[in-house]
Amino acid sequence: MTDIVIPTRPTPGEPRPYHFPDFERHRLPNGLTVITVQVPGRPLVSATLVLRNGAVDEPAAHAGVTVLAARALSEGTKRFDAIALVEASERIGASLHAETSWDTMSAGVEVPADRLEPSLELLAEMVGEPTFPSAEVDRLREERLNDLLQAAADPRRRADEAFTDTIYTAESPYHRPAGGIRPTVEPLVDEDLRRAWARGMVPQRIVLVVGGDLAGLDVPAIAERLFGGWSTAPGTVDHPPIVASPALEARLVRLVHRAGAVQTEIRVGHPGLSRRIPDYHAVSVMSAILGGLFNSRLNRNLREDKGYTYGAGAGFDLRRAAGPFVARAAVNTDVTVRAIREILMELDRMRTAAVEEDELRAARDFLVGVFPLRFETPGPVVGSIAGLVVHDLPDDELATYRSRIEAVTAADVLAAAREHIHLERAGIVLVGDADAIGPSLESAGFGPLEIVREDSPGGA
Amino acid sequence: MPIPAVRFTDERLPNGLRYIIAEDHLAPVVAVDIWYDVGSKHEVPGKTGFAHLFEHVMFQGSAHVGKAEHIALVQAAGGTMNGTTWLDRTNYFETMPSHQLELALWLEADRMGTLLDALSQENLDNQREVVKNEKRWSYDNRPYGTWNEKLQAHLYPPEHPYHHPTIGSMADLDAASLDDVKAFFRTYYAPNNAVLAIVGDVDPADARRWVARYFSAIPANPAIPPLADLRLPPTLGGEHREIVEDRVPLPRVYLGFRAPVFGDPRFDALEVASQILAGGKGSRLYRRLVRDERVAQDVVMFSLGFIGGASVTAGWATVRPGVAIARVEALFIEELERLGREPVTADELARARALVETDELGALQRVEERADRLAMYATLFDDPDLINRMLGRFLAVTPDAIRAAAAGVFRSDNRAVLTYVPATAPADAAALDAAEAVDDEAAA
Repeated sequence: MTDIVIPTRPTPGEPRPYHFPDFERHRLPNGLTVITVQVPGRPLVSATLVLRNGAVDEPAAHAGVTVLAARALSEGTKRFDAIALVEASERIGASLHAETSWDTMSAGVEVPADRLEPSLELLAEMVGEPTFPSAEVDRLREERLNDLLQAAADPRRRADEAFTDTIYTAESPYHRPAGGIRPTVEPLVDEDLRRAWARGMVPQRIVLVVGGDLAGLDVPAIAERLFGGWSTAPGTVDHPPIVASPALEARLVRLVHRAGAVQTEIRVGHPGLSRRIPDYHAVSVMSAILGGLFNSRLNRNLREDKGYTYGAGAGFDLRRAAGPFVARAAVNTDVTVRAIREILMELDRMRTAAVEEDELRAARDFLVGVFPLRFETPGPVVGSIAGLVVHDLPDDELATYRSRIEAVTAADVLAAAREHIHLERAGIVLVGDADAIGPSLESAGFGPLEIVREDSPGGA
Repeated sequence: MPIPAVRFTDERLPNGLRYIIAEDHLAPVVAVDIWYDVGSKHEVPGKTGFAHLFEHVMFQGSAHVGKAEHIALVQAAGGTMNGTTWLDRTNYFETMPSHQLELALWLEADRMGTLLDALSQENLDNQREVVKNEKRWSYDNRPYGTWNEKLQAHLYPPEHPYHHPTIGSMADLDAASLDDVKAFFRTYYAPNNAVLAIVGDVDPADARRWVARYFSAIPANPAIPPLADLRLPPTLGGEHREIVEDRVPLPRVYLGFRAPVFGDPRFDALEVASQILAGGKGSRLYRRLVRDERVAQDVVMFSLGFIGGASVTAGWATVRPGVAIARVEALFIEELERLGREPVTADELARARALVETDELGALQRVEERADRLAMYATLFDDPDLINRMLGRFLAVTPDAIRAAAAGVFRSDNRAVLTYVPATAPADAAALDAAEAVDDEAAA
């Protein structure tokens, strides 16, 4: 049978040169920055307004207010009520959206190029003149509280939340979900949202990024007309320092009981890294080998060798301050202990010996090669430029990315793993059936075991 | 804004492999998507989940490619890839930096031609465990995770192959033998049962030469068995109701209906109707249930297009605490039925059209999506040029067509209602399953 297919593997042709699209900065008189990026032949234009004001910038007692404020931006403006605003945007085929991450609040739209200007007009109105009607804010707050109920019953979300709650001290914003927790969300009212929004309304700190086929469009002039009048009055300019300190001095196992669960959700990790680190590229290669690629060590071992899981992975969530490092898998209940042992072994192996040359090459080649694929359309191009703004990275960061990845050595990877993976103070957080796995966890010796039995809604 | 037409060639090798090539040199990227005309509808009772299990096996190596090496080679070449199984098809796709196209074609040819040379019991057993964990993860250990399985079971009679979901049952997965898998491969994974689409930064002469070079010697299967008759009455003929106890804090109402087949103009009208009903914050259901009456936490409405007898139109609303489930169901149904009585307004339709147009423009910007659609339209309708006509069809849908389609579908004698309610006790059956084999390795 084998002669029906040619056995020789083809060799690749000559790669077409690729460089990340050049972009241009313009500064409006009020300090707002406009970045334009030409992506020729892409008539669906992407625009994002970045307000450097994220969930970390809110008072702890109001945790979740910035996420809620972003959600409420579209609930009414000086000129439109919520329905009029959404209808106006739909008529031009534009879906306005706004969201908050740990580091930013952002709002944007994707729209055919010939309707960019009216879309930006609505965007300016939504972000610049929201009214936060109290009745709508009350509804959105209730929806968020209901969503928290749902999260508690979902093994994945419960595991994620139990994990960050375990590995960060209570003083760190990162120990909770960006959307807040019940006691902090419950008291929020419209005035709190208005304040959270106003913190970001500082034109010197706002950036508009527009990408796509911009031929014939004078984006800076449009921006000047729509955003140039934003005053510099409200808001604060400086970010407070972010607490991201570890809560664990030694390894700990925390098991959230879910009676009868057919799988155990596993999280293993600790506070990780900020985006602005000198060895970012080595960390990227190391993460790909450990838990990023399909044939990463974790997935290869737990899925392809053992069949314990549908998928296992690991990585760093790089934020302005040290976001979490986590290895994760959902495994068949009866192999929970064995799976944790394999995860710990793989994390340890990463720190104790240099990676093989072919692993290194595969990871580097993937990260370098997939780069043009990621940037085929304007949305991801705009998103990545927005990321540079958020983390105060140099303009050539994306242009130099590929050569810097190519330069990463096995020694760099080993150094990154040794420096940034800390098994001795990792949290091992599980959501699963404590009656089934508790005794074997107890004797496995991973660390002190704490079982959380909670009255979670829905009979869990 | 007009969407640029997709120009393509549509050819066949002597062994029946249909291949479609569409050039686009904007980005140094090329997509390869191969559709096999086999899905879970080809499964028979006792062997459910087979097409999907087989999809996993296709990544386990072939004569010249080791276990999981297909994926390793694609990723090392800077590409992305996956495979999916659905009721009407199975497909495999790679998106590559364009100078790596030949590798993608060779990989697809090697497994189409020589998969059985490498297939072992060990690899089958391994992927069976992976798939069982996929089922636990996607269905069994997830709140509301069983809705799709249950809705399909209500909307299609037991003897119809759409009655069961692609993931299949645990018992059938356990029963799958190496011989079953081999027979399945020999039957369906033949060049004359496949469509290969190549879209992007490609020289068509190169692509044509490579397709011939790598696929030509793979023999056709002249004896692909015909499908059973999949025709169905257009409506369910009654209302099915089921109450499901689950580990959920909030009740949720699912409504499902039999709908006209994918490709029928009435199905196009239902797609536009879904946009008007629940396509965003301006939609009817969102306004009524979430915003105005505030009885629901969220509301969703969508159609799944199938070609074998009937499609599915379905939706759900999550009930807010303290609200009667029956009230949410009644309002939901009232809005659906109103669509069958009163024509939508000109403004509603204009907004829906504008959003559909933006969506299409966004989707068709990506080579991967274009390859998928070309292969889909060729496989399901023998008409890849539908890629250039579907938007026009959506934009041509009239208020009367929407009213008529809704009236035909949103009927009480064509409805399945699933109500998820918080369990009063842990799911006992699941608890027993999990408890039977507890890890005792640590104690040993």
